[in-house]
Amino acid sequence: MTMHAPAPDAAKEPGRLAITISGLVKHYGSHRALNGIDLEVRRGERIVICGPSGSGKSTLIRCINALERHDGGSIVVNGIELTADEGTVQDIRQEVGMVFQHFNLFPHLTAIENCMLAPQLNRGLTKARAEKLAMHYLERVHLADHARKYPSRLSGGQQQRVAIARALCMEPRILLFDEPTSALDPEMVNEVLGVMEELAASGVTMLCVTHEMGFARRVADRCVFMDHGEIVESRDAASFFQAPESQRLRDFLAQILR
Amino acid sequence: MTNLSLADLAGYMRQLGEGALITLELFLTSFALAFIFGVLIGIATLSRSRVVQGIWRVYASIFMGVPSLLVIFLTFYGGSAMLGAVLGEFGARIDISPFGAGVIAFTVVYAAYIAELVRGAIENLPKGQFEGARALAIPPAIMWGKVILPQVMRLALPGLVNVWSFMLKETPLVSLAGLQDLVAAAKIAAGATKEPFIFFVATALVFIAFSALSFRLASRLETRLDRGQRREAAGRSSSRAAA
Ligand SMILES: Nc1ncnc2c1ncn2[C@@H]1O[C@H](COP(=O)(O)OP(=O)(O)O)[C@@H](O)[C@H]1O
Ligand SMILES: [Mg+2]
Repeated sequence: MTMHAPAPDAAKEPGRLAITISGLVKHYGSHRALNGIDLEVRRGERIVICGPSGSGKSTLIRCINALERHDGGSIVVNGIELTADEGTVQDIRQEVGMVFQHFNLFPHLTAIENCMLAPQLNRGLTKARAEKLAMHYLERVHLADHARKYPSRLSGGQQQRVAIARALCMEPRILLFDEPTSALDPEMVNEVLGVMEELAASGVTMLCVTHEMGFARRVADRCVFMDHGEIVESRDAASFFQAPESQRLRDFLAQILR
Repeated sequence: MTNLSLADLAGYMRQLGEGALITLELFLTSFALAFIFGVLIGIATLSRSRVVQGIWRVYASIFMGVPSLLVIFLTFYGGSAMLGAVLGEFGARIDISPFGAGVIAFTVVYAAYIAELVRGAIENLPKGQFEGARALAIPPAIMWGKVILPQVMRLALPGLVNVWSFMLKETPLVSLAGLQDLVAAAKIAAGATKEPFIFFVATALVFIAFSALSFRLASRLETRLDRGQRREAAGRSSSRAAA
């Protein structure tokens, strides 16, 4: 993988693509976690990524905001090619919000302080303006009443919604979710999915690793199935579920929809 | 009181007071420097570089293994020679005072212990804390200052309180290099008046008072650093409501 040629469509309409991934390779030692991934994400597109455990889903989305460094292929985010350069990495992280399986809230800060930290640092907002912004997004995830609480005083579903608000406070154009409901008790899954559906309706570009197939059907423009570090199938949500092409996806769906 | 006049007693007690100030100054300066270097070294030891790991292991095993008194003597008697070797003629002419030798020795020795504590606490933080900060594009220096170190301090606090107490108890060693500290003043007073009991007990009381004060400050600090933790959360919020 040496030459990086933008896809012909992208060349005609450079603003149309949010993320272009081509020939992406990632190794952990001798283990090949990603084995040549090609994926184009249009602006505003909502993509659900699924696949068996260990198939490379987390690695893929963590490469997009450089939490993991890729060692082959290329990633272009909003027209910026991701390189080892720290400035470029920071630029891309400003455009890309991330929500983790285990929330990763800062426990020594209240919900609103968690949300205010990055905007104050990166966007140079005054404390008052950062607070207003944080409150706006906490309202959007229906947590305005809990703004002054520490994460330990909130339920898992509430913590995850704070984490979503925290990511939104950077006003990113792209949101990455890595199994955002997998660590939650079942009764809290829906409140988080509900917020994510509201976000999906707002036009933000979303890449979401999840096994919530109901969510995928309702929200996803496209579903991507990964196995062994490769994209096995990638198609619109309806045919993904109704007419899976590969045996591997059929087996996977049979297991997960059991 | 056999042959000790009140005026003499007051005079010796004043010398004890001056000694206590020197002890306190030595202790606080050394602890502050050991803390700063300990935190920086603790962060540096996380590097996977073999050179860094090698230097750290040699440094830690020397200064955690050699008695502090020896380090003080080496600094005090050998310091000028070492400076001479490094800085040449100019360095050899610099005299190291007992106070300076004490500060250098305690800083070097206790930075190793503090680095070990800080390193352990950092390793015990969930990796997600670093990733959360990185994903938010928080620059490294601010990530350490606002996200990581406040949590590290909470985890390391019990160990830091131990280091604090232990270092305080070791400060009199510097009197053996000639520092006129609290214990040196007590020894002079005791020898001159043949009243060892009065002066040594007074000295002990000063140490007890200072460490009692330290523990109170430490428990306040603990409450502060513990904010947001589930443990005792109910108890604290009710005491805050009462205050
Ligand atoms: N930090 C790591 N070090 C070594 N191997 C890793 C690391 N992270 C992931 N892997 C391996 O890479 C593969 C893909 O992992 P991951 O992307 O987490 O899969 P998924 O999210 O689909 O479950 C797995 O085989 C996993 O064991
Ligand atoms: Mg995963």
